[in-house]
Amino acid sequence: MANVKTGITLFSLGTPYLKGELDLEGVIRTAAEMGAEGYEIVAAQMIPSYPYVSDEFVSFVNKCKEKYGISPICYAANMDRGMLRDRDLTEDEMVARAITDIVSANKLGCTVMREQYLLSPQGLARLAPYAEAYNVRVGIEIHNPESPITQSILDYVKVIEETGSKYLGFVPDFGCFATKPNKPYWDRALAAGAPVELLEKMAQLRYDEVPQDKAAEIMMPDMQKYPVLFGTLSSMYGFVQFRKSCKDELEGLKKIMPYCFEMHGKCHYVDENLHEVSIPYEEIIPVIAASDYDGFIVTEFEDEGGYNAVEQTTRHVKMVKKLLAESR
Amino acid sequence: MAFAMRMNFVDVVVSDSLKNYYVDGKKMGYQFDIRLSYYRGHFLSVIDEFGVTVDGFEVPMERIKFCINGKEFSPAEFDKCYTEFWQVIEPATVRVFYPGGLPEGEHKIDVKLMFRSPYMPIGPDHQYMPVDSCGSKTLAVAD
Repeated sequence: MANVKTGITLFSLGTPYLKGELDLEGVIRTAAEMGAEGYEIVAAQMIPSYPYVSDEFVSFVNKCKEKYGISPICYAANMDRGMLRDRDLTEDEMVARAITDIVSANKLGCTVMREQYLLSPQGLARLAPYAEAYNVRVGIEIHNPESPITQSILDYVKVIEETGSKYLGFVPDFGCFATKPNKPYWDRALAAGAPVELLEKMAQLRYDEVPQDKAAEIMMPDMQKYPVLFGTLSSMYGFVQFRKSCKDELEGLKKIMPYCFEMHGKCHYVDENLHEVSIPYEEIIPVIAASDYDGFIVTEFEDEGGYNAVEQTTRHVKMVKKLLAESR
Repeated sequence: MAFAMRMNFVDVVVSDSLKNYYVDGKKMGYQFDIRLSYYRGHFLSVIDEFGVTVDGFEVPMERIKFCINGKEFSPAEFDKCYTEFWQVIEPATVRVFYPGGLPEGEHKIDVKLMFRSPYMPIGPDHQYMPVDSCGSKTLAVAD
């Protein structure tokens, strides 16, 4: 039986934070008010002593825990492979950075760390002794266009199984189960004057699994007339792609469930009836509820459409709690 | 210009930040603050292009100091600054050597700042998503 807790990644409140409408304490307080039982922190966004965690920051986080009752549960790391001007980081350098992140995650009290796919499966395997020693489970984020059944993710599965470490795994992002076009991108194209029929035509090409170059060829005259559609096409085939059904992907999720340390409850737009318009939560949540998953579903509101971040994040947490309750 | 990502939360050039600065009691130049136009901070080594134009005149690079973390860097050093992290909510101060300072009144500041998003490859051979963090604002100079 699953033991699922709901949290939020503070990234969801990035817009008010960056604009100075909420400071970090305000962000944490708001997360607690939404019913989050814990939070993820994007280290490069909100930790003032990044990539390290200062004693001062630890006491700040502890004070917030006393006041608001919630603490960080996941340290979201970035793998900045391209940080040097003239070349990519080597695997040794990436492993070194990831070890620094593990140390920081531990100091912050996080037992989960989100890592990004630019760290290769071999690089991930090298983290096992550090992850175990520091009690930080390192999960590679599975982000659209990857999914639990794409080859690059299966390559990680192989390595994780070879190491036998319980500290290496995944953080799936529900965006990879999308079955409808992404609303903010769609609305942006409409606002820029693209006719809805052309968007529907493009979406149908995506549904029919027409390869991207072929779809671009078919859409070329339309895209030349409405250049905004170039971006729409690359998004439909990129980070916000979608397909008719996510059944195979959900079967894949079941297989890797023992390796999942946290889930990113991605949302772009949750309507007033608590329905995410592109990602079929009504199908996803029952799969998790019926599994042995023990961990957080962390709301990750991606502010692409200019919707109110607090309202969207609140709705999403409510939606997840409601669907979990219905699945029990 | 080629495609670049833009993620805008706040103005790059910070309002009310332009002022002359003094050394040995004399105006040695002027300074203003800028914010990174992104959702997270970055190491300075991701900056590919940086430049400042004031009232239509491009400032020679060697006159510029970019100040964060209590330190000052020249744009020519950015590629070596791979341990200097620019926090996304902390303004950087751009200080320009300009003896005598800027005359009273308003001045148009244009900042060119392009960087790579170092975790978003867009192709092989060290190609990463270019991000546009340029900004312009007309500010009155304070003494």
